[in-house]
Amino acid sequence: MRAVWFVVARLARDRSALIGLVLIALLVAAALLAPVLSTHPDDVFELHPSERLRAPSGTHWLGTDRMGADVYSRLLFGARITILIGLIAVGASLLIGVPIGLVAGYYHGWLSDLLMRASDVFLAVPQVVLAIAIAQTLGPSLPNVILALSVTYWPWFARVVYAETRALQKEPFVESTAALGASPWRLTVLHVLPNIASPIIVRSSIGMGFTILTAAALGFLGLGPPPPTPEWGRTIAESREFLPGAWWYAAAPGVAIFLTVMGFNLLGDGLRDVLDPRLRRSPARDG
Amino acid sequence: MRLLALALHRLVWFVPTLLGLLVVTFVISRVVPADPVALVAGETATPAQVEALRHDLGFDRPLPVQFVGYLARLARGDMGVSLFTRRPILDDLAHRLPATIELTVVAMLVSVLIGIPLGVVSALWRNSPFDHALRILTVSGLAIAGFWLGIMLQLLFSMRLGWTPLNGRLPGYPPTHLTGLYLIDAAVTWDWATFGVALRHLALPAATLAFPALATLVRFTRAGVLDVMQSNFVLYERAMGLPRPLIVWKYILRSALTSTVTQIGLLFGILLAGAVVTEAVFDWPGIGTYAVSSIVLSDYNAVMGFTVWAGVIFIVVNLLVDLAHTLVDPRERAS
Amino acid sequence: MTHGRSRLTLVLLAAGLVLGLAALLSAPAAAQTRFVFANESPYDTLDPHAAFDVGRVAVRLNLYDGLYRWLDNPPKLEPWLAESHTVSPDGLTYTFKLRKGAKFHDGAEITAEDVRYSAERILAMKKGAASLLSTMITPGATKALDRHTVQFTLTKPAAIFMAVIPEIHVVNSALVKKNEKDGDWAAAWLTNNEAGSGSYMLTRYDPAIGFTAKRFPGHFMPWGAKSIDEIDFRFVKEDNTRVLGMIKGDYQGTGGYLPNDQVKRLREAPNVKIVEAESMRIMMFQINNQRAPLTDVHVRRAISYAFDYDGFNKEILGGTVERNPVPIPNNMWGVPRDVKGYTYSLDKAKQELGQAQAKVDRPITVGYLQGFSQTEQAATVMANGLRKLGLETKMTSEVWPAMVERMKKPETSPDLVVYWISTYYADPNNWIGEMFSSSQWGTFKASSFYKNPKVDDLLETALKSTDRAVREKAYQEAARIVVSDAAGVWIYNTKYFGPWAKNIEGIRFSPIGNGQEIRWLHYK
Repeated sequence: MRAVWFVVARLARDRSALIGLVLIALLVAAALLAPVLSTHPDDVFELHPSERLRAPSGTHWLGTDRMGADVYSRLLFGARITILIGLIAVGASLLIGVPIGLVAGYYHGWLSDLLMRASDVFLAVPQVVLAIAIAQTLGPSLPNVILALSVTYWPWFARVVYAETRALQKEPFVESTAALGASPWRLTVLHVLPNIASPIIVRSSIGMGFTILTAAALGFLGLGPPPPTPEWGRTIAESREFLPGAWWYAAAPGVAIFLTVMGFNLLGDGLRDVLDPRLRRSPARDG
Repeated sequence: MRLLALALHRLVWFVPTLLGLLVVTFVISRVVPADPVALVAGETATPAQVEALRHDLGFDRPLPVQFVGYLARLARGDMGVSLFTRRPILDDLAHRLPATIELTVVAMLVSVLIGIPLGVVSALWRNSPFDHALRILTVSGLAIAGFWLGIMLQLLFSMRLGWTPLNGRLPGYPPTHLTGLYLIDAAVTWDWATFGVALRHLALPAATLAFPALATLVRFTRAGVLDVMQSNFVLYERAMGLPRPLIVWKYILRSALTSTVTQIGLLFGILLAGAVVTEAVFDWPGIGTYAVSSIVLSDYNAVMGFTVWAGVIFIVVNLLVDLAHTLVDPRERAS
Repeated sequence: MTHGRSRLTLVLLAAGLVLGLAALLSAPAAAQTRFVFANESPYDTLDPHAAFDVGRVAVRLNLYDGLYRWLDNPPKLEPWLAESHTVSPDGLTYTFKLRKGAKFHDGAEITAEDVRYSAERILAMKKGAASLLSTMITPGATKALDRHTVQFTLTKPAAIFMAVIPEIHVVNSALVKKNEKDGDWAAAWLTNNEAGSGSYMLTRYDPAIGFTAKRFPGHFMPWGAKSIDEIDFRFVKEDNTRVLGMIKGDYQGTGGYLPNDQVKRLREAPNVKIVEAESMRIMMFQINNQRAPLTDVHVRRAISYAFDYDGFNKEILGGTVERNPVPIPNNMWGVPRDVKGYTYSLDKAKQELGQAQAKVDRPITVGYLQGFSQTEQAATVMANGLRKLGLETKMTSEVWPAMVERMKKPETSPDLVVYWISTYYADPNNWIGEMFSSSQWGTFKASSFYKNPKVDDLLETALKSTDRAVREKAYQEAARIVVSDAAGVWIYNTKYFGPWAKNIEGIRFSPIGNGQEIRWLHYK
């Protein structure tokens, strides 16, 4: 617990990480308090065709969309979807990728090779293409997007964990503990895991940003949750035919995505600087 | 020796990895609910005609048999025929590959030619206002949604200012076909009018694609240069009184470049992933849009063909990058 | 130094000479007039017998000719390759006299044998207009009586036969037969080439880009002094690109069914004019009449009362369309003028739901077309209305070919699907006949899967009779029944707002050709 406090204290001194934290807090607040913070909470479903494509004003802070719904309110509710997708997809990737990485790192020989080549298979095609294939096959919906993203992001976790586990194996304390007869399980849970927690945490934060961008891309291509879901990527796609007139329609969700991903990236960078100064030096293995 | 071992090791696993990729893609593409055979047969085909076509295409045999058949044909270099264009997949891919290559290469050039110098300068003038501004830009670079950036650029430069066209590679027919890369084809045939038009069409998509790559490059170059600047041998040289510019050129830049070379693989990944979305926004007739439309139209053969191509390229590039890394990084060589 | 300078001067002079020569030699001989059209669908095939749709009509109108042709608005059938025709008293035999001296692009004369071959080819390829033609003529029922007389023998009297005649585009049978492979009727060859006699001859084709053609001076129809020399039809997917292109003058024409916001932009452009015309193109929701709970007429009526017609037509589409409550366009004959149709009334909808026997206990699937945002918006409006009734919906989208596929069977077709039905030929049968006759199940127009013996009778009568009065009464009666049965939700009839370059004259708009027959056009 002292470690956690130590991390937080160090983090607090990093200005950009703080900005990141603030942005994330804003996102979470927007998502949790959407019904309270929004001016037209019903506009998630309601249509007001006679008010369509109005410029930002006192009643509609960010204007209205093609159905006359309030862009600002839909943006807030869209934050819920964004967080949901991000958390579950990254969480699932973690749950799949970490064990695989551990096993691959711990054992040597064909099993390890097999697992790492399997992760190569999923990395061979750009994540977005694979996600498109899965989403298109299963049909555009929220659960399918999450599934598609989880299935395509786990290799990043596996790789990081694999590299760290292999590095740790060379450490004397691991060798000696193994020599003393500790079982692989004990070794992994009590000794390896705590040491790889840092890279996993860093990767999770960066992964959130990355996943949110990909989810938005899927939504943009029409493979995300169907209308009238206020998903940010889909909203941008909808807005295109009304440009250049209704510029706010396209600008607002894009800025929202930008701030969100920026928040997670800044936090991730800050965490990396704090948790593992070693990582700060090596520019490799990013994504 | 180590190089050889690494190369051999990777080559052994090349085929199984590719195979695994094919299996995954095959399974996904066959699970599709829509029936592409019926789509191809046309709006007015009777059920009997659809079944006949299915038999012709071999889609009525059990899945494992189909897969083996596909592999056998693949070994002979036959990727099959697109269910929709009725042209050989290889032809379709070859037709569309130059578009993506042109876009990706130009984007790569832009990001390298601008990114590396910016990174170096940023490191040398560490913590100056310029450095801070650049850092904000680079962090943004990885936080902006590529498709949104493209749309905003279109909004500003095409719609509002009218400086560039909205999308596509060329408004009409391409220059004489030599390589499929319009810039080269036009230049070689002295068709400068088309060259200019093609360049203007490339401007926005290349900028959109290059932005995240640029940001990454600036970051890593900066970090690499900083690393080197603080390393022992540089301090020694400075203590010895060597002029700063000389140090910069001789040592820092070289080391920065080495670490950058190893980032090419990463860059390639970013650019390829970005290409799919960028091509969608700018209606760029490349591999990205081909992949997406094949998936949407359930064109099995095209999806498999694209996957084979992408998989091979990726695995090869990864291998080359790892080899290059081992070659280039003296620390790796020593261990 | 002097050496270098004089050498330099020499080089410059030589360069200047070369460039000057090049400029002279490359100067165009005479100013050729060009016309560029931006189309929203790709021209993926040039085969006139493989496509029947409005999206690719430019190929058929400009490169090929038929016996008769639809011209102007309201559309009239005019003799084209044929000079005249006669019909036998029993309505089974149609005899056409071809005009003499009409030639194909390669110089061969157009004979009755070419017409016969073309008709057989359509039937054999089973694409495009074949589905309609095969209900009226069978293979072998077409004969070339002599060099300039061709005769069709129908299986039964059909009032729409003449209406569909323009779709038998006459191909150069000798040329086509030369390029046949393995009995494919030259399908592979004709996809990328042409064998026509039309006003323009193909010069270039790329399925990803479009086609260009140049004027055929030997065409049997006279040319004006200022007729267009070269036409260039291109596939430009994005609305915005087409609009910008029109404004900049890159294109001189584009499709006339743009969203209202884009039409407004074009009106303001100094070099663009908007040609307005009443078209015939209905947008509607097909209701899957065979799937519970939509089998219950009260549920279907409730759905019909749940769509915000005014909100959609007047607000979202800016009043550019006309409410069309009946499955026949308002400006076509056969519409029962006393039928007002359904309005947006949640009260009435709830009333109907109350009377329904079937319970709506599952989400209703609402299908729309990928890439057509208007269908997406219509589906959203419908879903919103249903939600207000307490009914859940599930939106599903497909690209058009995939949706056509789903609509072939009642089991796979969505509960509701929204799309348009354009004018393939100018007859009420194009809409109500093909939509609600139970014999049409499996075609994309009949995805209502409606089955009513009385309506079947009426539609059959209308098809068989050649008496316009009889037909009109039958269609009106059928329409009344179908509307009362709420077999579908009919939203609007389109108006055509065609963007054209301001200095283009002579545009002849017809709902079937959409003005894309370039031979009538000229620059001011």
